[in-house]
Amino acid sequence: MNANVEGNVPGDVSGRQPKVAVYICHCGGNISDTVDVAAVAAAMAQYPGVAIAREYPFMCSSGGQDLILDDIAKLGVERVVVAACAPSLHELTFRGVLQRAGINPYLYEHVNIREQVSWVHKADHDGATAKAIRLVQAGVEKVLRQAPLSALHAPANRRVAVIGGGPAGLKAALCLAAKGHEAVIIEKAPWLGGKLRDLGKVFPTGAEASETLRKLEELVAAEKRITVHTRAEIDSISGFVGNFTITFNTPDGSSQVTAGAVIVATGFEHYRPHPGEFGYGQAAHVITLPELISLLKDSPPRRLEHHGKEIKSLAMIHCVGSRQVEGVHQPQADGKVNDYCSRVCCSAALYTINRLKDKYPHVRIYDIYRDIRSYGMQHEGYYERASKHGVLFFRHTETDQPIVESSERGHTVKVKDVLTWNEEMEMQVDLLVLVTGMMPSDTKRLTSQLKLSVGADRFLQEVHPKLRPVEMAIEGVFVAGAAQAPMDMTEAIAAGAAAAAKAAILLSEPEIPLKPFVAVVDESRCTGCGDCLAECSYQGTLVMAEVNGRTVAQVNPALCKGCGACVAVCPTRAINVAGWTLDQFEAMVEAIAKA
Amino acid sequence: MSLKKILIITTEHASYPAANAVGQGRMGYDANTCIIRVPDPVMFPEDFYIRAFEKGIGGIIIMSSGSDCPYEGAYERLAKRVDRVYAKMQEGGIVPSRLKLTTICSVCRAAFLKEIAEMEKVVAAL
Repeated sequence: MNANVEGNVPGDVSGRQPKVAVYICHCGGNISDTVDVAAVAAAMAQYPGVAIAREYPFMCSSGGQDLILDDIAKLGVERVVVAACAPSLHELTFRGVLQRAGINPYLYEHVNIREQVSWVHKADHDGATAKAIRLVQAGVEKVLRQAPLSALHAPANRRVAVIGGGPAGLKAALCLAAKGHEAVIIEKAPWLGGKLRDLGKVFPTGAEASETLRKLEELVAAEKRITVHTRAEIDSISGFVGNFTITFNTPDGSSQVTAGAVIVATGFEHYRPHPGEFGYGQAAHVITLPELISLLKDSPPRRLEHHGKEIKSLAMIHCVGSRQVEGVHQPQADGKVNDYCSRVCCSAALYTINRLKDKYPHVRIYDIYRDIRSYGMQHEGYYERASKHGVLFFRHTETDQPIVESSERGHTVKVKDVLTWNEEMEMQVDLLVLVTGMMPSDTKRLTSQLKLSVGADRFLQEVHPKLRPVEMAIEGVFVAGAAQAPMDMTEAIAAGAAAAAKAAILLSEPEIPLKPFVAVVDESRCTGCGDCLAECSYQGTLVMAEVNGRTVAQVNPALCKGCGACVAVCPTRAINVAGWTLDQFEAMVEAIAKA
Repeated sequence: MSLKKILIITTEHASYPAANAVGQGRMGYDANTCIIRVPDPVMFPEDFYIRAFEKGIGGIIIMSSGSDCPYEGAYERLAKRVDRVYAKMQEGGIVPSRLKLTTICSVCRAAFLKEIAEMEKVVAAL
């Protein structure tokens, strides 16, 4: 690694008070509906060291950024504090503004008054405003003690590891290869394609899934820049942006791949109903929608059969394993119910109904739902078409679930139908189809080793759905496809292309700038006691060296992880983590305690 | 001096995102709390906590990453350091319950709120 750290002198304010500007963002009401932003700005205008304090509707907008640029140019502002949303969203945005203005981008402090103030203190406007003032004051104290820093640089490995060989992973690999990057697909199954292999005709085009998959496989096979490993189980992933190492096991033994970025495209699993859930697994002729789709693939014309029985009528029950309600539905293994909507299943069910009716017009179909959510281009047409086919729809509430009684003759389904003012409906059917939802694949090992964020729904959580889609919080890691949320094939493929584009942009330069927050030693304060060496877990990071006839600690910034373990034991405060010094934190705590 | 303020020390990679997740879920807690983010709380010497109490902080919750900590050996060092802080608190007549070392991951929303609720009781009794 080519490390370059300059000017990391903690607490250096050059004997002169720098001009600090403070900006309070309304976030379009997200903040200002709870926090009195004018009062915060007024309080900050009076705070020692603050040259100017302003409020603005959207600091992240071009207007907000121009405000900072103008103040730097016209008022000579030298350091900036923005109080807005979480730093994971816009810290880099505002550092970029400083950089454009010719100021060191690290002379900036981001204060979070949305996720950690306005959104959590909605009922306490005065308390939220007072807290915002405290936090912004602490931010000013920190930035006043901030030294200019320079980014470290890591060489970028241009190869990208794609974990998962479903449609999203295949598309990501193809897009990367088209941009000149090597892509390595690591797939745990013996084949590529993921759940696409199990589907028949797919909406919106009506193309055979097998044909789509065949085309993707042919393109991948023809691309020299793509390597495929199947039956490959990830053993470990380590490293950081620009330099990840992935070890995986195949029947041929253990292999290792290095990559500059990782795309996680691990897909989803179909929800598997609990034994006995609407009779599944216990009564005959109760199947899931994916099982019906498989059945239709091979079913002969004119006569629909399931396990030798002719099916003349069937009922579909929606939202099985999705939009579950605590106290109504049985929780999953982690104790939580699946309260999210799987989005795709309504359209998939309606599309399948139409296919079935086209092939077997005599089969009576009852569709039992809570809400029909046929989102997507022209998907509403599937509902209209099913209605024209004579499908009967019944709607129930979340607490009044349909009741199924099964016998050798078939199934009796009872539903309290809100469309007919809660009339009790009862129907006899030969086959019951459970419209099951989607659940994330097991990514525990990946999430644990890469420290990836997982949402309350257990799917991988991108940094921000609108501002930083497909990016994980860990730099250099991207998510594609249904690993991130329930989505259909077209969306998964689009997400794969998006993740590939982000990875290609990241690895477009030979070096990736890294955060400069590593340990630095103030040699004038260091007594050479060596206590810091004993605290450091990373061999070779800290060494004792002779400098101008004195023995002092020295840091190898390429090896330092910036944890700060060494900082706590230094008796003279000679060692600090650049950008996170003890002096800064003590001043912040004082500001918080005082306000 | 009012000792009602709670300082929450969070880690950049785990408990700080958890605090954000609590906000995204619009889950509420008291406004007497202030969150600071650090790479890892292992960087603070024993005296840092004592000085914070002297300055008027009522309670401190250290929300570490525990065994999920991305820094090798940092949690073990932190745990030992906090033990030494407790000893110093005892010497200085500071109620030990005013400091709590806990583990919060990036999705621990309920645990995050529980820790705050418990510390609220401690500072209310001061």
